[in-house]
Amino acid sequence: MLSRVADALYWMGRYLERSENITRLLLVTEDFSTETQGLAEQVAQSAWKDLLAIFPSAQVAPPVSAFAPMSQAYLVGFFLDPTNPYSVHYSLRKVRENARSVREALTVEAFLAINETFRTLDGHTRRGLTDLPALRDALGATHKGLFAINGAIDHTFTRDESWLFLKLGESLERAFRTALVLRAKLPALGAAEPRADVPLYYTQWRTLLRALGSLENYRRSYGARLEPDLVVSFLLFDPHSPRSLRYGAQAVKDHLERIAGEPGPGQRLIGRLHAELSYHDGAAPGGEHAAFLDRVVDVMGQVHDALSAQYFAT
Amino acid sequence: MKWVPDTTAYDETFDRTATARPHYRPLVATLESFTQTEIDRRERLQKLSLVDQGITFTVYGEKDGIERIFPFDFVPRIIPAREWDKIEAGLIQRVRALNLFINDVYQDQRCLKDRVIPPELVLSRREYKRELLRLTPPRQIYTHVVGTDIIRNDKGDYLILEDNCRCPSGVSYVLENRNLLHRVFPELFTRYPVRPIREYPRLLLDTLLWSAPRASENPVAVVLTPGIHNSAYFEHSFLAREMGAFLVEGRDLIVEDSYVYMRTTGGRQRVDVIYRRVDEDFLDPLAFRRESLLGVPGLVNVYREGNVAIANAPGAGVADDKAVYAYMPALIKYYLDEEPLLGQVPTYVGLRKDDFAYMRDHLAQLVVKTTGDSGGYNMLMGPFATKKEIEAYLAQMKKAPGGYIAQPLIELSSHPTYIDGRFEPRRIDLRPFILYGETIRVLPGGLTRVALRQGSYIVNSSQGGGSKDTWVLASRGS
Repeated sequence: MLSRVADALYWMGRYLERSENITRLLLVTEDFSTETQGLAEQVAQSAWKDLLAIFPSAQVAPPVSAFAPMSQAYLVGFFLDPTNPYSVHYSLRKVRENARSVREALTVEAFLAINETFRTLDGHTRRGLTDLPALRDALGATHKGLFAINGAIDHTFTRDESWLFLKLGESLERAFRTALVLRAKLPALGAAEPRADVPLYYTQWRTLLRALGSLENYRRSYGARLEPDLVVSFLLFDPHSPRSLRYGAQAVKDHLERIAGEPGPGQRLIGRLHAELSYHDGAAPGGEHAAFLDRVVDVMGQVHDALSAQYFAT
Repeated sequence: MKWVPDTTAYDETFDRTATARPHYRPLVATLESFTQTEIDRRERLQKLSLVDQGITFTVYGEKDGIERIFPFDFVPRIIPAREWDKIEAGLIQRVRALNLFINDVYQDQRCLKDRVIPPELVLSRREYKRELLRLTPPRQIYTHVVGTDIIRNDKGDYLILEDNCRCPSGVSYVLENRNLLHRVFPELFTRYPVRPIREYPRLLLDTLLWSAPRASENPVAVVLTPGIHNSAYFEHSFLAREMGAFLVEGRDLIVEDSYVYMRTTGGRQRVDVIYRRVDEDFLDPLAFRRESLLGVPGLVNVYREGNVAIANAPGAGVADDKAVYAYMPALIKYYLDEEPLLGQVPTYVGLRKDDFAYMRDHLAQLVVKTTGDSGGYNMLMGPFATKKEIEAYLAQMKKAPGGYIAQPLIELSSHPTYIDGRFEPRRIDLRPFILYGETIRVLPGGLTRVALRQGSYIVNSSQGGGSKDTWVLASRGS
């Protein structure tokens, strides 16, 4: 297929996954901050600030008024702000732009779903939504719209190279973002001791699972037991949950293998990472979480560069 | 339901006594069976559907919302079989003559030597490409796809207004309009034998591949687009999708060792036919405009070697010049020894001294167009212009008389169009699409454009025009 089209589909996959990630993180963080704001403002505050570490070059305007709940500035900035390169609006617009530029490679159903979801979201931006319950509603609706897009893609695309590049973008973005979420959240969580505020401590771990869309999947494996070690191990090594790092690495590897051509450096990099995640001994390879996650983030960046060179810049 | 028949122009639907013409009667009756509320509901449905599907075009020079939907009016335009048969025959004749003319211009220039058309009129045009002289395109076809604009005068005669031999656009709306009307007003179709048009993409692909240099081995055809910001991008992508062809931009193609390749994830793949929707001046920065970023360096050389077909072939633009138009009846006689089957609008050519003098003195009654522009840009509608506008235009004309032509204002026919709860008359034209492959084929109908502003004569999408579904009826018993 055309390199330009493969490139656009890859980015469409990345931005689509990114839109969903941001939407989910906003929904979960908003929930968490409402729950904890009165209890421990610092904790709620830092949950929002983590977003800036997960989406490094995001820009969020300061809160409009001192009386507004702190959620508002972050919600507006990460949801509706068209200029923030990590807002849902920005990402979904990129999805649509990429889709539009390769419309002949998409199905009508997928394009319709993208168009409709973006149009509704854009309406919120134009109206300058700031009211919290309305923002929450709109976020929920956008989340559903994103699932509709993914559903349309799943049900109508032929599983050819176009599909593989789209899914490659999706899986790479997903694994990359999981690594960034863990890297942002684990140090503080690991350092906190379950002292007096036991419920808060567990709320934070539960929120981490929810932030990665994994709470229910975790419960299927371990029940309602919430052991920090189990949670970390689940998010790193679980072979079946779609947002564990291992699953993500596997997806990137599988898609790359199915795309025709000689195995390139990208395939070797992701293959090695996947092997480390598959044949682990229960702890983060190399011991330290932070160091390992730094390395994962690094590898993901290298994989991206390698496949750009191999497939897009021909 | 209120219908307002036209009293000045030829009304497609009603005769002078405000009675519906026979072929419109079932349509009028069906529409009258709906309540206003129901019609309004359907109209909303239809608008929403256009937006959701992203059936849009791009308006240049507008900052906000550059992507616009092309307004669609659901009242279909109906052409009876016997009228269409005449139009079709006239178009086939015309396209044959156009293609022979272009071949002649780039080969022996007989028509110039025989003074059928003034040589300077052809040879001085930007559209005339001297570098393509003595070059024969595959199968001697220059005009693979032609869009010819047809209007009807106040007597209802069909007249040719303009030939588009470079990259005529609009066919995607023809197909989408039909789909849309099927969904929104299925009832309208039950009482008419409407000729289907869905075959177009297949016929287009056939037409393109007919010119492929290596016909035996699965030739590859691509659609070349300037990209997402072009006003007709929707159509480029639509046609590529419908034909199952690659949609490429200039940067996707590369010339190597006298062949054209596209850059793919699996390396380079050879291209045989390029359906170019890029202006020919931008096709190849080495051959034409140096600053072009849209083109493919070296493409014209490959074409010269006969290793790629380009549709429409470079140089074809010499025939859709508005001044050449004035000589078409003579050219048809010259090449085919036939009388033109379709009439056309009397045209004054600025290059001819007498004509220019007439134009100068009668500007207030004439429609003046520059020979180089299209899309309704840079024209003067004399009867509606102020004195000041006319003077300014004349000053501009005097600088390059040869660059202008003028025609009397034709009372375009009008057609009922749904405007704010009433069926009001609005001016229309027709752009049929003609494909030149193994044979010449005409898509039944074409794009009916409608001037949505009351009293307006300008149907271009860039100037507030909309479109309608166009029905050609099958003759009973065939």
